Amino acid sequence: MKSVLITFDQAHYARIIELLDKLSCRGFSYFEQMRGRGSKTGEPHYGSHAWPSMCSAIITVVDDSKVDTLLDRLRQMDEATPQLGLRAFVWNIEKAI
Amino acid sequence: MSIYEGSVKKPIMTALCFVAVAILGLFSLTKLPIDLYPDIETNMIMVMTAYPGASAADIENNVTRPLENALNAVSDLKHITSESKENISLITLEFEFGEDIDVLTNDVRDKLDMVKSELPDEAENPIIFKFSSDMIPIVILSVQADESMPALYKILDDNVASPLARISGVGSVSISGAPEREIQIYVDPVKLEAYNLSIETISSIIGAENRNIPGGTFDVGSDTYSLRVQGEFTDASQMNDIVVGNFGGRTIYLRDVAVVHDSVEERAQETYNNGVQGAMIVIQKQSGANSVEISDAVKEAMPRLQKNLPSDVKLGVIVDTSDNIRNTIDTLFETVILALIFVSLVVFLFLGRWRATLIIVITIPISLVASFIYLAATGNSLNIISLSSLSIAIGMVVDDAIVVLENVTNHIERGSEPRQAAVHGTNEVGLSVVASTLTLIAVFFPLTLVTGMTGVLFQQLGWMVTIIMVISIVCALSLTPMLCSRMLKLQPKQSKMFTLLYGPIEKGLDKFDNAYARLLHWAVGHRTVVIVSCMSFFVLSLFLVRFVGTEFMPAQDNGRISVTVELPIGTRTEISKEIGMRLYEQWMEQYPEIEVCNFTAGQASTDNTFASMTDNGTHLLTYNIRLSDPEERERTLSEICDLMRKDLAGYPEIKKSQVNLGGGMAVMGGETMLDYEIYGYSFEESDSVASQLSALLREIKGVSEVRISRGDYQPEYQVDFDREKLALNGLNLTTAATYLRNRINGATASQFREEGEEYDIKVMYAPEFRTSIEDIENIVIYNAQGKGVRVKEVGTVVERFAPPTIERKDRERINTVTAILSGVPMSEVVEQAQAKIDQMAIPSGISIQLSGTYEDQQDSFGDLYALMYLIIVLVFIVMAAQFESLTYPFIIMFSLPFAFSGVFLALWMSGNTLNVMSLIGAIMLIGIVVKNGIVLIDYISLNRERGMGIREAVVKGGHSRLRPVIMTTLTTILGMVPMAIGTGQGSEMWRPMGTAVIGGLTVSTILTLILIPVLYCVFASVGIKRKRKKHHESLMAKNTSL
Repeated sequence: MKSVLITFDQAHYARIIELLDKLSCRGFSYFEQMRGRGSKTGEPHYGSHAWPSMCSAIITVVDDSKVDTLLDRLRQMDEATPQLGLRAFVWNIEKAI
Repeated sequence: MSIYEGSVKKPIMTALCFVAVAILGLFSLTKLPIDLYPDIETNMIMVMTAYPGASAADIENNVTRPLENALNAVSDLKHITSESKENISLITLEFEFGEDIDVLTNDVRDKLDMVKSELPDEAENPIIFKFSSDMIPIVILSVQADESMPALYKILDDNVASPLARISGVGSVSISGAPEREIQIYVDPVKLEAYNLSIETISSIIGAENRNIPGGTFDVGSDTYSLRVQGEFTDASQMNDIVVGNFGGRTIYLRDVAVVHDSVEERAQETYNNGVQGAMIVIQKQSGANSVEISDAVKEAMPRLQKNLPSDVKLGVIVDTSDNIRNTIDTLFETVILALIFVSLVVFLFLGRWRATLIIVITIPISLVASFIYLAATGNSLNIISLSSLSIAIGMVVDDAIVVLENVTNHIERGSEPRQAAVHGTNEVGLSVVASTLTLIAVFFPLTLVTGMTGVLFQQLGWMVTIIMVISIVCALSLTPMLCSRMLKLQPKQSKMFTLLYGPIEKGLDKFDNAYARLLHWAVGHRTVVIVSCMSFFVLSLFLVRFVGTEFMPAQDNGRISVTVELPIGTRTEISKEIGMRLYEQWMEQYPEIEVCNFTAGQASTDNTFASMTDNGTHLLTYNIRLSDPEERERTLSEICDLMRKDLAGYPEIKKSQVNLGGGMAVMGGETMLDYEIYGYSFEESDSVASQLSALLREIKGVSEVRISRGDYQPEYQVDFDREKLALNGLNLTTAATYLRNRINGATASQFREEGEEYDIKVMYAPEFRTSIEDIENIVIYNAQGKGVRVKEVGTVVERFAPPTIERKDRERINTVTAILSGVPMSEVVEQAQAKIDQMAIPSGISIQLSGTYEDQQDSFGDLYALMYLIIVLVFIVMAAQFESLTYPFIIMFSLPFAFSGVFLALWMSGNTLNVMSLIGAIMLIGIVVKNGIVLIDYISLNRERGMGIREAVVKGGHSRLRPVIMTTLTTILGMVPMAIGTGQGSEMWRPMGTAVIGGLTVSTILTLILIPVLYCVFASVGIKRKRKKHHESLMAKNTSL
């Protein structure tokens, strides 16, 4: 089991949910309003006057086998719309109930 | 969930909500009445007090003054004017607009009750009369007749007036020009004397003979019968056989001393329609009724009524006020449609995508139609004001939608799905859209608070635009994102056809953007040059103010003229009629524009409601002229009026004449009149000042007519009875005077009844026995003992001059000199006249004051200037709140002076004047021009927040905001173009407004685009310098403390 944290421009939301459904990743948690900026490129997402856009985040815990497919698809999504911004980070789940 | 998120998620609900609004709006539209102006509540109350037998001076002292003193205490009174003439005192109270007239009427009644006891015993009770615009006739019909002339009154009364009066909404229908039937008994005074009879005896005998008397009921056997004496005459000739007395044992019949004439009244008004004698039917409406509906009903009824009339009687229309209303409203509708087309074109030109254009343009009809719901709900009408509000709003309602759409498109281009883009795109700009609309509402909402005459007009404008703007913002935040989410797509590759057509436009726009960026780059580097040249432009434009004249309201061309011609007092009707015909023929020949020309001569009978409100007399001629539509003729109404005035001046027999443009009945939009009020007690002094002043005014160019309100002393015959001699003969003054009246004016003996109608039977001297002073002197007066004395034995007949009507205003005697202007601005004439008045030697106790249109203008302008300051403050507050800064709004405010420069420039170039309409245009500009500044400053400060330097932020911000600014400005300007260049009926009214907005907005936008960024640079660098200095100081402080 691995946990994937996906942070993305709000506009990606519908596509990501669709992707998770397709890959039968049922469980996730969604943070609707988040602020942040990328380490290298991209516009900051502050929800402020200067930078009005906002990001969201989804944490989903998936089987190890699905992680690569998920990341591949997410990368494609990001590359198709570089101006929006999408990042995913994976780490191990030690225990769960 | 926010409104835009909800509407994107529920497209069906959103769409149907707006469909419902549209349907409701269209439904309201069908229910809306059409009128020229919004309902104007009356602000006048008249108090009429009769005091029979008193002269003008007596009336003034005993009736008018005490009443005036009491009524002066009524609250909200603006002016109190009065006319004291023989037998009657007329006091007119003018109140501030917008007060409840019913409450005021009660106040007036209370005050009258208090003062009643101070009035002379013989004075009748004062009558309160509410004056209203409903008394203006809405339709005047002409009747031409030939052989039916003698019976015309009855024919018209039965077949036209009564059916018309039954139309719902019609207040009263009066017939003038057709004499009423009257049975005259012309008595020969010589025979009367010989038989020892008098008019009074004959009159009472006729009264006693012409009776039906019920005799009660009685029983015959088993039945009950009623008993009646039917003595009323069934034919006028039966009166010949009445026994009026005995003389020398012989019976004297009426035919022995008199001739019975079954004829028409002696003194009547005569009316000529297009040269043919006939009559005039005047239709007035009930208060609150709809003029257009009534006139439609009247016109519909006319062919039906015509069928019932004898073949020689022809009906026609002289005046139909609804024509003007209908044409004006049609012109305005055209204006609105044209504005809609222009705005759509601009949007398409800039966006280049039909879907986007559709999304934007759809907000226009929805916002406009929704405002009809407001009109219907508040009982208003479609009128000049409400429709021009639509025209004004068209260019502004799209602005919000454009901003939203632009941001959503940006999001889509960055890769968002339309649905997400619609929600987030709207979310980002929602607040600033609301704020920028608030600045507009800050301008239009205060208009609803204006008082006075202008308030009545512009309250509706304020409400309409405010409501339209609120709806447009709701549209922009719900309908526009919903439509964007459904209709917008990531721009696919354009078809070849499209690239071919739109490519050049796109290139042109790009070039324009780049050129502007270069210009801005230069300007930022040469701040002093830019600022100094802008300021000098503003200062120079202020000099134009001297060349732009001011007036109150633009004169409206409704194709109607009314002319009053006054011949020397006492001119016989026949002579007046002859001059009337000569004038008529001359005018018909000279002015082919005249469609109908009707004139009336002679004295009206007292029971004609319409005629008794207007001046009439044997020496007066009144013309009603209708011209063809303004588009169909080359000469304007005022040109023709001026020519007519010259024609009238060519008749030496005419003493005074008045040519009233617009029929003299227009509430607004009539000619400009300057009233010089001369206050002073002495008649001689104020008369001489008045005549001097009128001579001076006539010399001024542009003054086309001068009138003096005080009439001349009227020549008349008076009988001075010697009271002692009267007493010796057992007579008193009243008895003697009544004898005179019965013989000359006639005694109404009884009523002759026929077919349910009653006609007066009048006994009087035959006309040939009342033509000289001797005839009067020989009148025999009988005392109670039956002894007769001649008038010359108890009194003398002398010729005297009756003093004219005494007019007063604000409790002082007044004589008004009215100058009518044509073709020149009022301000110029006022200036020249004032210079001349200053040189006049005015006796002490006499003062001259300027009122009339000038007073109205000063009042309205005062109101509007106050409003302007209020609006500027409000707009500043809205902007400061939005930017959370005091500097930015201050910078943006610099676009205002140039808006006013533009207004003056445009007015000067187009030859318009500064009047209430153009001033309203200027006020609207306050809200419109700051919008551009807001867009620019907002984006520049955003760039700065994103970390750019001042210059870069300014140039890049300007470059990227140029298109939205130009686009929203162009939509507003083009929305106004149809108003500014319209030529239809009524377009004179709003042309100055359109011109003012276009001029102001153009000049201000061009300068704003350069000056505002430059000023931003200046202020921002000052700020930075200050920060650096502080930083430096704190460093220094640290260093020293170390």
